[in-house]
Amino acid sequence: MAGQMEFVQNFPCFSIMLCMFAGIISSALKGKAAKWINTAVLCANILMSAAVLLFAVDKGGYYVYVMGQFPAPWGNELRVGVLEAGMALFFCVIMLLSLMGGRHKLIQEVKEGKHGLYYILTDLMLSSLLALIYTNDLFTAYVFVEINTISACGLIMIRQNGRTIEAAVRYMIMSLLGSGLFLMGLCMLYDLTGHLLMSNIEGKVREIYLAGTGSSYHIPLLITIAVISVGLAIKSALFPFHAWLPDAYGYSTVSSAAILSSLVSKGYIFLLFKIIYRVIGFEVFHDSKIVNILFIFSLMGMIFGSLSAIKENDVRRMIAFSSIAQIGYIYMGIGMGTQAGMVAAVFHVLSHAATKSLLFIAAIGLTDVSGGSRKLTELTGSGYRNKIAGVAFMVGSLSMVGVPLFSGFISKLLFSQAAVQNEGKMLPTLIVLGISTILNAIYFMKTVIRIYTPVGETEYFGVTWRENKGYAAALVCFMALNVMLGVFSQPIVDLIGVGLDSFSA
Amino acid sequence: MQNAWQIHFTRKNALESGHSSRVLVYGMCGRMCFMRDVWQRCFFRDFCYGGMRGIGMVVIMLFPILFPLIAGFFLLVMKEPKNRNVLVGIAGAALGIAGGSAVYALCRVRGQDAILFSLSKALPVYLKPDSLGILFAAVVTVVWVLAGFYSFSYMAPGQGERKEGEKRFYGFYLMVFGVLVGLCFSGNLITFYIFYEWMTLLSLPLVLHTRSREAVMAGLKYLFYSFCGAYMALLGLYFLYRYGRTLTFTAGGVLDETLVAGREGLLLVLALFMLLGFGVKAGMFPLHAWLPAAHPVAPAPASAVLSAIIVKAGVLGTVRVVYYMFGADFLRGTWVQTVWMVLALVTVFMGSMLAYRENVLKKRLAYSTVSQVSYILFGLSLLQPEAAEGALLHVVFHAFIKCGLFLAAGVMIHKTGKTRVDELRGIGKEMPVTVWCYTFASLALIGIPPASGFISKWYLAQGALRSGIPVFSWLGPVVLLVSALLTAGYLLPVTMRGFFPGTGYLKPEQEEGRRAVFFSVKKEASPLMLVPLMVLAVLAVALGIFPNPLTACIAEIVAGIV
Repeated sequence: MAGQMEFVQNFPCFSIMLCMFAGIISSALKGKAAKWINTAVLCANILMSAAVLLFAVDKGGYYVYVMGQFPAPWGNELRVGVLEAGMALFFCVIMLLSLMGGRHKLIQEVKEGKHGLYYILTDLMLSSLLALIYTNDLFTAYVFVEINTISACGLIMIRQNGRTIEAAVRYMIMSLLGSGLFLMGLCMLYDLTGHLLMSNIEGKVREIYLAGTGSSYHIPLLITIAVISVGLAIKSALFPFHAWLPDAYGYSTVSSAAILSSLVSKGYIFLLFKIIYRVIGFEVFHDSKIVNILFIFSLMGMIFGSLSAIKENDVRRMIAFSSIAQIGYIYMGIGMGTQAGMVAAVFHVLSHAATKSLLFIAAIGLTDVSGGSRKLTELTGSGYRNKIAGVAFMVGSLSMVGVPLFSGFISKLLFSQAAVQNEGKMLPTLIVLGISTILNAIYFMKTVIRIYTPVGETEYFGVTWRENKGYAAALVCFMALNVMLGVFSQPIVDLIGVGLDSFSA
Repeated sequence: MQNAWQIHFTRKNALESGHSSRVLVYGMCGRMCFMRDVWQRCFFRDFCYGGMRGIGMVVIMLFPILFPLIAGFFLLVMKEPKNRNVLVGIAGAALGIAGGSAVYALCRVRGQDAILFSLSKALPVYLKPDSLGILFAAVVTVVWVLAGFYSFSYMAPGQGERKEGEKRFYGFYLMVFGVLVGLCFSGNLITFYIFYEWMTLLSLPLVLHTRSREAVMAGLKYLFYSFCGAYMALLGLYFLYRYGRTLTFTAGGVLDETLVAGREGLLLVLALFMLLGFGVKAGMFPLHAWLPAAHPVAPAPASAVLSAIIVKAGVLGTVRVVYYMFGADFLRGTWVQTVWMVLALVTVFMGSMLAYRENVLKKRLAYSTVSQVSYILFGLSLLQPEAAEGALLHVVFHAFIKCGLFLAAGVMIHKTGKTRVDELRGIGKEMPVTVWCYTFASLALIGIPPASGFISKWYLAQGALRSGIPVFSWLGPVVLLVSALLTAGYLLPVTMRGFFPGTGYLKPEQEEGRRAVFFSVKKEASPLMLVPLMVLAVLAVALGIFPNPLTACIAEIVAGIV
């Protein structure tokens, strides 16, 4: 895509910069102004990402955007294709809806003076997510990984009670361990290849790998791949590294929980996709057997996450544990080591992001009409007290269980189709997928039946959607998004396929 | 059916590689083409230009599916009307329109097809009502409408049921009807699966209706067994997608011989999985435990349709999988067939035994369903024309009979509050019409000529004897015979004790000092409940006396698939 550059091609860079500057400006402003700036930035980003997506779909392939004056081996680059633009658009939409749906809780739960700070943190979060999506430079990725971590910690502990501070400290420790490993891997890669730009590294990595086991760099390379994968796995809460997750998602304010579960972990997973395709190379990654380890962890996560969720009596923590299982699904797609598995994994990133944030936000509506209690026993009949939240929770649950016409079913279908084509991993995948489906059904359907079980006498009052229109609108949009992913999945799956092709090109 | 999306991309790639100067021009109109392609892909192209003669036929086909769904949804979200008659009026009108449109559609849609939209590559949501689907849809429509009108009287408040629950009941009842018509019209496995899952979900509130602890536990049991079964079926779907030529139902099977070669073992295992999976709904041993729990806790009209129709969805799934996906020839003579026959016969016998030992009337009927539906499965498992005919005949007969039995049981329970068989002594003196209907239906189910059950069992036994399968060719008829005796043993006591309560019957009431004059204490139910019951009883007998149109229709279906 050489030749004259079109104006649209500047948008990725603009959107990252816009978020950062919005954060900086907001720090000098009051909470209310910060909120408006944040919303405006999100809307602008949605428009810009959509424009970039249309451009990328039109042109096919990808383009490289050089930052500053230095050309390839030294300079910094963004790389934009269909998948990147689509993901950026999707992330912005989810973030906007999550903030919209959790705004009333933010006002209740967070001190007046800290609202401005909250929006600054979300601006920073968005900028880091966009940078992780677009960047073509490993070190830039690392920098934004750290920015992401810091803003995520802020988002967790901005609602100040004991549990969130503990959760934030836990998150900080685990997360820093993850980014530490990532940094180590990055340094080793730099050492091995002498490059930091992703596309340059890939060629060198292949050279080293092809040199075979005799080469003295072979084992360091394997260790590097392992260290990077594990680092990012910790950050995205893959099964044995998930200890930070339930508290962080369970006790923070609801917008934070939605953003953390559906975007932050997904940002790291997207970075991992990128590293697999562009830094290490798909074949090398596949041959390195690290995929098998990720695969095993993911299967364990799918089962143990669901088992923990079944045992849980706190609805928010239950949804959080279900995230562990769902992250397991995504890593299962990666672990299959095939293109079809990757497509399924990317689709599940979208599907899970749309569903999990819906569930978090719907759950808050249900707990609000149950005296603020999050115990499942108190939620009995809450589906009648807050109708829209009840319906939304049901839609989210059905999607998680994998009922047709919702997004979860398509994920399940794609994973299974990928599994059927993969002789070695077919059986474990299908069996665990089956067990996990049943386990999901157990805790989600149990909850849905509970919220629709009428109680005779109750001291809790119901609310109608008119009392909080923004909340209702967010839920309706989330549900529509879910059904759209579930029914019109074919164009989306095709786009993911095209995106992945140009991703590795 | 070409993929507009792919065309779009290939066209674009060609443009870019070949004529770089035209890229810009294309880029300008590309956006519009892109949106148009998406739009056509999602909705219109296949919808309008698929195999349909016109949009009118699509409407005729979709109306009986969508109208009940929309009407049911409307009932659910609608404000509670002050006057109960308004609610019943709306629900009755909706049910009438849905039933009428379904009948009209059934007369018109044979051989038509329509692709609604595509889920993913080569997985279109596709409707194609064939003779089999139309047969099932006809049974569904008759039973659903009759039980529906019955429910307007049964669900009337005064039975301790809140009115709000009544509206919900009608809403879900209507929605399940729409889904069932869709299920019967499904033209490929994925569409079938979608409707199948939704049938489970939407019929769940019918099971949960009373919201008692027992009902919730039964509902959860229903849900988990069903999800297990559905996943097993889905598992088979993944593989059929890979090893089959298509997922569209094709008489004789879709397996691609070149792909299958060397993998017969795997596919046989999957066939067994799918049989077990759909067998969950049909109440086949070993996954039958949900049925006797879930069917009796629902209100009587819901029990009736669950036992008469929803279980048949499992049967339809089995027929589709065996005869339309794997193909009868693929399974004939394999170990899967043997396992299937064994399971079906075990279920036939076990269901009858359990029903014989059960004292609660509705539970007894539910166990009877377990047993009777496995008659059908046994007939299908023989993979032999007469047996398959017998099975499909039994689908029709059992639907009418079991619906009639449950409705009769509902009347008895509704009017007397007695649920156990031993409490029902003398019931025939109190409500003779109901018990006579019950008796006719019972005789039909036992298979006493000329009532309908005789015909289907005759075909089943004939088929078994002619199949020439060692052991099963004689064991099958023997088990069916024993089970028929047991059927008489568990159904007829209600009639016998009902009309001939014995000498001890008068005593309690005499002790209470009341004058017991039987003919003055008639408790016969309202006509709205009795008429559907009588229609079903008449159907149960009359179809046995005039079976020819039905057997001809079924023979034609079977001729195409075995």
